[in-house]
Amino acid sequence: MEESPLHPFELHNYVPISLGGLDISINKAVIMMWVVVGLISVLMVMAGSARRLVPGKLQSLAEMMVDFIRGIILDTMGKDGMRFFPLIATLFLFILFCNLIGLIPGSYTVTSQIVVTAVFACVVYGLSLVMGFLLHGAKFLGILVPPGTPGWLLPLMVPIELISQLARPISLAVRLFANMTAGHVILGVLFGLAISGGVLIGWLPFAFTIAMNGLEVGIAFIQAYIFTVLTCVYLGDAFHLHGHDDHAH
Amino acid sequence: MPQFESHFFSSLIFWEVVSFAILLFVLYKFAFPGILSVLEEREKKIKDSLDQAERHRSEAERKLKEYEAKLNAAAKEAEGILAAAKERAQRLLEENEQRLTTEAERIKGDATREIDHERRKAIQEIRAQTTELALMVAEKVVQRSLNEADHRRLADEALDALTKSAAR
Repeated sequence: MEESPLHPFELHNYVPISLGGLDISINKAVIMMWVVVGLISVLMVMAGSARRLVPGKLQSLAEMMVDFIRGIILDTMGKDGMRFFPLIATLFLFILFCNLIGLIPGSYTVTSQIVVTAVFACVVYGLSLVMGFLLHGAKFLGILVPPGTPGWLLPLMVPIELISQLARPISLAVRLFANMTAGHVILGVLFGLAISGGVLIGWLPFAFTIAMNGLEVGIAFIQAYIFTVLTCVYLGDAFHLHGHDDHAH
Repeated sequence: MPQFESHFFSSLIFWEVVSFAILLFVLYKFAFPGILSVLEEREKKIKDSLDQAERHRSEAERKLKEYEAKLNAAAKEAEGILAAAKERAQRLLEENEQRLTTEAERIKGDATREIDHERRKAIQEIRAQTTELALMVAEKVVQRSLNEADHRRLADEALDALTKSAAR
């Protein structure tokens, strides 16, 4: 029986629920989200309640993670970016755990759903726009004009910048979705080959499957990291419009 | 692609937002404050320890300098004391020498005087005794041999001597 490599991404409603006409049925992806939320909550709350000066393993890991995200925020946004720390750290953890848990055979990769990544991307980008207009008012439209642009270039530069701005949420969403999907498709194809190759030749693609799985773990980290860094960069852009007003607050 | 089947979108978006909100709340409320405070605490502790170590180091350095200075001063003082003691000893020595010399001189003088005195006394004594002895001898001689004729002659001689001395 030949399976489509996209078969693992199919969803089936287990428990059909409707909330005021809105379909919020429970499916595999939703259950995986719950698992992820539960897992992160338990680990982080346990690590957070340890509060030992000389940390244990779990506390060390959590602290490393927190310090890592704090480093990203401080590098890209500076000290006042720390007010977004809970949001950005949660985002990083959620995406990372979704990516990683999806690698367990039989589970589901929530972040391989374009709509999931799109919601994150839109929320992040929307937040950066809101922050920008709140902090700078109408001057925030200046983000469409790179510093030092001569006046006669404005008709050219503004549309280009507009497009690059609009590409931000799209690229953010598509990058994560495509990476997660592609990795699982490759794994699926390789494993399909291993099955159909039989014992004689099938060990080769099977070995590749194992290697690919290791690579996918790395990609899971890298994509979560990239998403977080870009989030910080976009928010940082909104904070420091062209870096002009670094002293403004 | 199954990911573009839009009839799952509503439930995915809804549950994503709900799960994320719950996770954000839980972490914000129960996890991050603890972890961040521990990190800050540790940072502070490390910084404090380093500061303290630096303070101790400078303190130790200061103490070392102080002790070195004290040691130098003590060495100088000891040198001074030694020099003074040497000088004093020298002076005492000289003084003693002088004193002893004068004493010796004095003793010598005394002794000389005493010897002189004794000698003189001895001479006098000898003279006195000699005179006494002579007188005694003379008396004995005189008692034994002085007879009438001698008496007469002696008286005559005395008279002669008297008259001679009167005549002169």
